[in-house]
Amino acid sequence: MDAKPVISVEGLSVSYRQGAGFTRVVEDVTFAVAPGEVFGLVGESGCGKSTIALQMLGYRPPAMRTDAGAINFEDRNLLALDRSGLDRVRGARVAFVPQNPTTALNPGIRVGSQIDEILAAHGADAAAARVDRTLELFGLVGLPAKPEFLRRYPHQLSGGQQQRVCIAMALACDPAFVVLDEPTTGLDVTTQEQIVALLIDLRARLKMSMLYVTHDLGLLSQIADRVGVMYAGRMVEIAPTAELFTDPKHPYTRGLIGSIPRIEDRSGLPARPLRGLLQRHELPKGCPFAPRCDWATPECFEERQELEPAGPSREVACWRWHEIAVPADARAVSQAPEVDHPDRLLAIDKVTVTYGSGRGAFVAIRDISLDIGKGETFALVGESGSGKSTLARAVAGLIAPAEGTIALAGKPLAGLVRQRTPEERRLIQFVFQNPDASLNPRARIAKALARPLAFFFGHASEARVQAALADVRLDGKYAARFPDELSGGERQRVAIARGLVAEPSLLLCDEILSALDVSVQASILALLQRLKAERGVAMLFISHDLAVVRMLADRVCVLFRGDIMEIGRRDQVFSAPFHPYTHSLLEAVPAPLKPNAHKGGASNEAANAPSDKGCAYAGRCAWQIGEICTKERPPWRETDQGLRIRCHHSLDELTSLATWPNATDIDDGRAAQ
Amino acid sequence: MTILKLVIRRSLMSVVTLLLVSLIIFSMLEVLPGDVASRILGRDATPETLGQLRTELGLDKPAPVRYLSWLGGLVTGELGQSLVSSRPVEEILAPRIFNTVLLSAYAFLIYLPLTIIPALLQALNRDRSVDHAFSVVTLVLLSVPDFLLATILLLAFVVMIPLLPAISLVDQSSSAWEYFRAMTLPALTLAIVMAVYAVRMLRDNLIEVLDSDYIRMAELKGLSRRRVLLRHALPNALVPTLNVTALNLAYLVGGVVVVEKVFSYPGFGSLLVDSLQLRDLPVIEATVMISAFVYVVANLIADVAAILLNPRLRTG
Amino acid sequence: MSVDTLSAPPGRTRSRWTSLPSLWRQTPLSFRIGLIVLVAHLLVAATGQFWAPYGFSQMGTGRPLSGMSWTHPFGVDQLGRDIFSRVVHGSHIVILLSLSGTLLGLIVGAVLGLLSGYVGGWIDEVLQRFLEALISIPFLVLALIAIAAAGPELAGNPVLIVLVVALVYAPRIARMARSVAVDIATRDHVTVARLRGESAWSVMRRELLPNATSVLLVEFALRAGYAPVLIGSLGFLGFGLRPPTPEWGLMISENRALIIVTPITVLGPGLALASLVVGLNLFTEGLARILGRTVKLGVQ
Repeated sequence: MDAKPVISVEGLSVSYRQGAGFTRVVEDVTFAVAPGEVFGLVGESGCGKSTIALQMLGYRPPAMRTDAGAINFEDRNLLALDRSGLDRVRGARVAFVPQNPTTALNPGIRVGSQIDEILAAHGADAAAARVDRTLELFGLVGLPAKPEFLRRYPHQLSGGQQQRVCIAMALACDPAFVVLDEPTTGLDVTTQEQIVALLIDLRARLKMSMLYVTHDLGLLSQIADRVGVMYAGRMVEIAPTAELFTDPKHPYTRGLIGSIPRIEDRSGLPARPLRGLLQRHELPKGCPFAPRCDWATPECFEERQELEPAGPSREVACWRWHEIAVPADARAVSQAPEVDHPDRLLAIDKVTVTYGSGRGAFVAIRDISLDIGKGETFALVGESGSGKSTLARAVAGLIAPAEGTIALAGKPLAGLVRQRTPEERRLIQFVFQNPDASLNPRARIAKALARPLAFFFGHASEARVQAALADVRLDGKYAARFPDELSGGERQRVAIARGLVAEPSLLLCDEILSALDVSVQASILALLQRLKAERGVAMLFISHDLAVVRMLADRVCVLFRGDIMEIGRRDQVFSAPFHPYTHSLLEAVPAPLKPNAHKGGASNEAANAPSDKGCAYAGRCAWQIGEICTKERPPWRETDQGLRIRCHHSLDELTSLATWPNATDIDDGRAAQ
Repeated sequence: MTILKLVIRRSLMSVVTLLLVSLIIFSMLEVLPGDVASRILGRDATPETLGQLRTELGLDKPAPVRYLSWLGGLVTGELGQSLVSSRPVEEILAPRIFNTVLLSAYAFLIYLPLTIIPALLQALNRDRSVDHAFSVVTLVLLSVPDFLLATILLLAFVVMIPLLPAISLVDQSSSAWEYFRAMTLPALTLAIVMAVYAVRMLRDNLIEVLDSDYIRMAELKGLSRRRVLLRHALPNALVPTLNVTALNLAYLVGGVVVVEKVFSYPGFGSLLVDSLQLRDLPVIEATVMISAFVYVVANLIADVAAILLNPRLRTG
Repeated sequence: MSVDTLSAPPGRTRSRWTSLPSLWRQTPLSFRIGLIVLVAHLLVAATGQFWAPYGFSQMGTGRPLSGMSWTHPFGVDQLGRDIFSRVVHGSHIVILLSLSGTLLGLIVGAVLGLLSGYVGGWIDEVLQRFLEALISIPFLVLALIAIAAAGPELAGNPVLIVLVVALVYAPRIARMARSVAVDIATRDHVTVARLRGESAWSVMRRELLPNATSVLLVEFALRAGYAPVLIGSLGFLGFGLRPPTPEWGLMISENRALIIVTPITVLGPGLALASLVVGLNLFTEGLARILGRTVKLGVQ
């Protein structure tokens, strides 16, 4: 930071009205952003990062109060400006990109006009010039620069396109500073990747200063120059991005970094997943992180450390940062060994599931055959819309297959759950993605666990409930609590316990980690690994997260638009040859310090509609051969080890095309394959 | 195309609802336990009069036949004869409906400013004393039954400040001025009752819109307060307001029953009460059907307007 | 480091229900005022018969139409009955009829609505059309024809009034309960119960009802707030309870002719009725806020 900063925050403290009083949400935060710099602000939800983002534009909802501090921008204090002064700064000099473009764009105004009005508000008078500028902006952000497109309403655009409109709007008046408030959080993984690529590209071209607010530290490694880590309203560490990842000083930062699942890393899970979450009123007088910190001493609870320099351009707020020398990456839990399970438990034979009927019918999965062995962990991988959840719902009996049969232990199952026998219902248990929704908020944990016991076995004892909690490593005291008194991870443990008390032979796990914070994910994953070994229950594990799949699965199946692309044993799937789609999924995994991970262009937004003929992946495939891909259904190719890939390319071609993992990422383990 | 389909679908549903309403009313009044003839005649019934009335009403025919012929009459506008005055029902209804429509139009004229102005004042001064004061006033007014409100207004404008007539009797011979004077108190009562409800809803809707992400975005774009309010907030608060107005129209159908009775205004509502007291079945059935019809159509219009105003369904 | 058993951290248990005074202080102001008004009304209703100065039909208690005085705060009607005593005696009638009618409507409406919303299919469709039709008849009109249909033998019977209130409310409550059920039915905990093979009744009792209680509670309070007005309107129009029952709406109607001579005979019962409804409305609004819901006051 040699040059004079573009914007600087000094001693900012903010409170929110809560009932009669005020609660401090941001406490004495100071930082500055240099010209052309991207400053990342990271922390878990509720840490105050979004509040700071809004304050950078002098924005204050009615319930918010600024207690102290200043935000200096172009020789003015933004917090002291009146409304008309702010109107001249906002949009023109400091711009904002919102978290959720769907709600941030006015549903009743055409997207062109929404950009037009920001230009008009900041001095561009000639209407024709404004239209030209809008078209230019659309081109810049990878939207069609056509006049027809300006006339669309927001709902006629995809989520990714809406966010591009918001970015164009932010860039409209060439602002000196752009605030991005979780700009990719509301988008699905593929779109997220494209938006990040666009931002990286814009950043290189426009040399703009930005504040990038996110909860995803992995993302910041790709885009930010410096990162500020916030915890409970305080800045706990500021460091250049590369140094932060290689040498985090604050225990909280260590926890965050340690929690990021890494796909290339074969050695296993992070050693120090973050423990629990605290309510704001439970914070101690001293360091707010102390209750969750492995290094905390009694004095940490009593007295708080302010940010202090910890090396060139680094600051950290911790009493003990220089004493803590343990590397953040000390990993202990290892990847589960891959085991063969020859006895067949579940057989899915030529199953097709459609939603709706008649002309509007939509084929969610098409002609899928696979089987799962007793005690096997079988992973289904694919993006949203690939049909992986549909398959689980068909197995559970929530939707009847239009064609094909599903058999459990040799006996065919009825299509719908109400036609199945109680025994069949007991043997298949479902764990849902979101534990907030899957536990009845008005039933105590004991009741949630006792009901399946009573239902399936006729009686439920206190001892059985306690044992069920112990199985998922929860203290017996949780039995008396309501779900809202538990954290997300604890609730998911209860949901898993509820499935296990029925003593199923198959547990369907539908994205059970994705609603949880990274730190919590790691500990649930470790629990699953242990349960897998102890209980011998088979799992159909659905996930979009390849890193997680790699930790847990015995076999993996990759789905795309209802078709199987690749299926085989885990280590086979994670090594060449790859199906082009599997390869693109692996490439898309964000990983810390993976420079230029995004090679994809900024504009391949929409793919062709799936067709009955040809390959489902044609149109999006980077390795597409030509017409054959859209005209002919690709053949199955099988390796000696039993890996099956559906592609027009031969296995040798697929092996030679593979570039994943990058040369720099290859670690010792992979060579053995 | 899709819009047209939606509108047609919605209209067909209204027709089904009305058919069901007719079935419910018919069965309640004619098929339910107890003999209609003896209910009409009450304690004065003798075997002869009963038998005579039964033939007159066609009660010897089976219920489904009677229902269908009554329904046919409803559709063609032949509503039968009053049992009391022996005049055709449509002849009795026509002037009453005219009076009520006039009264409702007057009430709506007072209602609009009475709603929009306080709601805007509240939303713009959210959580300040103006907002709280109006909230208290509307809450208290909301709790005053319409017949009591009418009586209090009567006390104020007839007894204490004698400006208006206590009894609003009008007929075809009355002059426009007499009509105006006669209608003022009933219209004011109806307008206040409707406005109280609408103000609370419109305030909440406005605040909800003002709290939305796109309003925040508009402010963060540096647009002026005026533009944010007029271009971004108001159009989006309009749709729910339509809904309230439709609900109020529906209230009006029931509200006139009490208010017209209080002021002895010869409208459609007082006709219902009178015919109920006289047990004049054909008139009761026709009046109830009309009130349900107004309710259903009001809701239909509100829904169709919401469909048309929804940009998601607008093409191009 | 492996996964240790998570011990329950202290301080996360529900500490909300510690002491009554602190609980009271946490409630919204509207709730507190509403509750005080309601308790006052309930006290009068429960004990009024014992301390009311005169009987409800006792004549000659004072000079007819003598207006407001210390002995007759709400005046005296033309039969020489003390209006204040009549209002006090009427209190339990109004409150009892309102609450029991609303409760009956709530039970019928909630069961119908929750089951219909959960089961879905053609049963739901038919029921919805039917309820929609009932709602399309303005509620006062529906109440009036229901009373007409009941015939002269039942007219003026308190049980009929309770049934009529229930008939008017049940479809409206059912529609609301249905939308709640449809919402809850898509949640995963209901799917879990379905996967287990629980019956519709069991799902309603265990999964839907507990999660609908706050909505139903607010709905009950809201409807109960309007029931006195409905009963009063019926009495006012002459279709409710029979004289000399001291029902407030009926009294307002009876004394309306006296408004020029002695307005307090109308305003007294009016004040009683309005204050009860204000109390109920404030209570409802506060309750809704405590339960984290929004409520549209005014039943239309």
